[in-house]
Amino acid sequence: MENTIVKLNNIVKTFGDVTAISEGHFELRKGEIHSLIGENGAGKSTLMKILYGMHVPDSGEIIIHGKTYKSLNPKTAISLKIGMVHQEFMLVNELTVLENIILGFEPMNGLRIDFHTARENITEYIEKYNLVVPLNKKIMDLSVGEAQRVEILKTLLRGSEILILDEPTAVLTPDESLQLFDILETLRQSGKSIVFISHKLKEVMHISDRITIMRASKFVDTLIKKNTTIDEIAVKMIGKEVFLGRKEKDIDFNDEVVLKIENIYVPSSREKSKIRGLSLEVRKGEVLGLAGVDGNGQTELVEALTGLREIYSGKVFIDNIESTNISPKAVRNLKVGHIPEDRNTLGLNRFTSIEDNIIATKLGDGVFSNKSIIDRVKTLEYCKSKIKAFNVKPPLPSLVTSSLSGGNAQKVVVSREINDDLKVLIASQPTRGVDIGSIEEIREHIYNSQKQGVGVLLVSADLEEILSLSDRIAVIFEGKIAGIISVKDATEHNLSVLMTGGTLEKV
Amino acid sequence: MKKFRNLNHNVTFSLIVAFIIGSIIITALGENVFRVFGILISGAFDGSLKFGTTLQFFVPLFLTAIAFAVSTKVDINNIGVEGSLLLGAIAAAVTGAYVTGLSPIFHISLALIIAIVVGAAWAYIPAILKIKLNVNEITVTILLNYVALYFTSFLVMGPFSADVGAPRTMTILDSARIGTFLSPSKANYGIIIAIVVYFIILFIFSKTTFGYKITNSGLNSKFSFFVGINSKRMRIIGMLISGAIGGLAGGIEVLGVYGFYLYGFSFNTAFDGMLISLIAKNNLKKIPVIAFFIAALKSGALSMARYTDIPKSTIDMLISIFILLVAMDGIYEVIKNMVIRKKEREEAKC
Repeated sequence: MENTIVKLNNIVKTFGDVTAISEGHFELRKGEIHSLIGENGAGKSTLMKILYGMHVPDSGEIIIHGKTYKSLNPKTAISLKIGMVHQEFMLVNELTVLENIILGFEPMNGLRIDFHTARENITEYIEKYNLVVPLNKKIMDLSVGEAQRVEILKTLLRGSEILILDEPTAVLTPDESLQLFDILETLRQSGKSIVFISHKLKEVMHISDRITIMRASKFVDTLIKKNTTIDEIAVKMIGKEVFLGRKEKDIDFNDEVVLKIENIYVPSSREKSKIRGLSLEVRKGEVLGLAGVDGNGQTELVEALTGLREIYSGKVFIDNIESTNISPKAVRNLKVGHIPEDRNTLGLNRFTSIEDNIIATKLGDGVFSNKSIIDRVKTLEYCKSKIKAFNVKPPLPSLVTSSLSGGNAQKVVVSREINDDLKVLIASQPTRGVDIGSIEEIREHIYNSQKQGVGVLLVSADLEEILSLSDRIAVIFEGKIAGIISVKDATEHNLSVLMTGGTLEKV
Repeated sequence: MKKFRNLNHNVTFSLIVAFIIGSIIITALGENVFRVFGILISGAFDGSLKFGTTLQFFVPLFLTAIAFAVSTKVDINNIGVEGSLLLGAIAAAVTGAYVTGLSPIFHISLALIIAIVVGAAWAYIPAILKIKLNVNEITVTILLNYVALYFTSFLVMGPFSADVGAPRTMTILDSARIGTFLSPSKANYGIIIAIVVYFIILFIFSKTTFGYKITNSGLNSKFSFFVGINSKRMRIIGMLISGAIGGLAGGIEVLGVYGFYLYGFSFNTAFDGMLISLIAKNNLKKIPVIAFFIAALKSGALSMARYTDIPKSTIDMLISIFILLVAMDGIYEVIKNMVIRKKEREEAKC
């Protein structure tokens, strides 16, 4: 049981300026199911892609069966009996299951493909591991679960002893997931070693022998399932920084609701209803923090509120005016500011100047134009005042925004979105990828607009940010509000429970 | 600023290299390079006929280049300017020949306005397909060019045929004629219209909120939608302007130069216009100079073909090499990046 077959030590991997892994450790023993868990972007997939040879690490060592490698490529990985099932299936839709499985490894009979032998071989595997797939159907006619089994069969037929599954349950229904777990259990019993990447705690607790947690591109801990609890994992996964800088606020916000969401359903690009019956109220002069593990519908919610995504059921009111499915322009006319999650394509036009970016939302109003001719004197003056108020560096209105640093680019966005006449501010990940100095400044601006009576919906993956700015905290889980707690009652523990699908009653 | 200067350098450099290659070919054809270029230059500028011809060539090249550049502002490549030009031309020809009883100013205006409307309407087809259904505009516009060409062919052989043996419409009435100057050349006052249109476009794009919205929609339609601009509508409008200018170019050709629509009168004028726009990197401010330069080359090429053994198409070849070299700008970048990356890798190894 104790024989280690794979060891990854001190792996570092960067993509340009982005650090995907700053400290990666991983150890896999023969015959275990070892889960790798962490939030989106924690570096799980990247680490495993390094093991499968798809990425070359900047530094660190890969030890397989006692032999040390600087890096691998998929070919050597396969020869070392490592197989990986990716999030996106690598199958040819127009070919049958049988053809897909043997593709590239066809048994030949003279010049012809020996389909008979191939079929016999594959059937053997199907029976051995209970991997039921219809061999004669085309991939495009299969369900996602079946296609995934085809992928697993493919890697097994290549002789894999180590199987990496990258978020396999993300695309499956709960029933299909259970079937997958049965298959994984069978595989484990036959001596295969399995790496199971996921961010869903319950699944991980269900099937793993051991669990490795990554957070913010770093290794956190490896735990033995028997000796741990969901709560312990949740805390390690989400982080346990001491929550500093919580503002002592004595704002008395009244009960006037400025943003009201009534039972909305919103589709995502993949799922039909990513947001499923969500209701929420933001009052005048309060910051409502929306916490949650990334990918539980935060993006879709914000887009739906700001006119960027269609709501197919339910209603939204801004300052008591219905704003369901109106254009972004119309939402803005209701005095809503929106700091978008995606700074580089939505928040900024990177090809144009700071000045042009700052005036973008104001141009139609006739403030800066006289008979549709832009008054460049006024816009420059306005831009300079914004640059000064929000401390954008360098303070050059004509500078193209693509040359700004992350923090200053974000300050340009924030300066455009926060105005004196605002009623509602929707801030989505306002400080993600921003340097510490700018983080403080941006939070200060959000705080200031709250003081002026703006209702703020703050969406952030950063719990510390949520806790330091919010008055109330709503937790989103799988497209619904799992619970709302006042910041006084919020602890890292009860938030973690809500964020991972638990309920407060149980605790 | 530095970047812009580099860009000018590249254009000049490309031009020089193109002429060196041209010289080699001319020498290989057994002609004296200096004599040929001398004739080329005098053929473009020496005397009212020659200079007039240069100006005559300039107008449609200039306008179609603007038309293409405008479409690129909304991130669409309107290869269909030629179609707008052809349909605008025949619309102007028909209006010029069949509408009677108007004073010149009204007759010319009416014919040109109809040409503009027809040209814009033609560009609406690829625009709507691109924006609503995401159909590739290049395929659509290339195919629509043939539709436009053969449709005008049908018109000049059928309903609007002048019955003179050549596939053309009736000659337009005198009241629809745009006056000429630098006689006996065919230079006409359409050039003033073209220059006015150019400055209007330049003004719209640099000074107005409308231009700001169009430019932003083309550069980043998501951002534009986000800040409250109806970016889809703006992009369609951009295409309509592009088509309109194409139609105007056709109208001026008929009313100012030919006096009727002759099947095949435009030897891919709009394609040359597109190339001019590409050389200028779709920068409106650079288009006039380059359009004039290309017009001069084409006009000079006529004399060159007459007085030397160098065929006229040599000039087209020269222009092509020129464009190729300018387009290589990207390649210079790639090579530069490769060198930098190689250095980095070597440093990493050490």
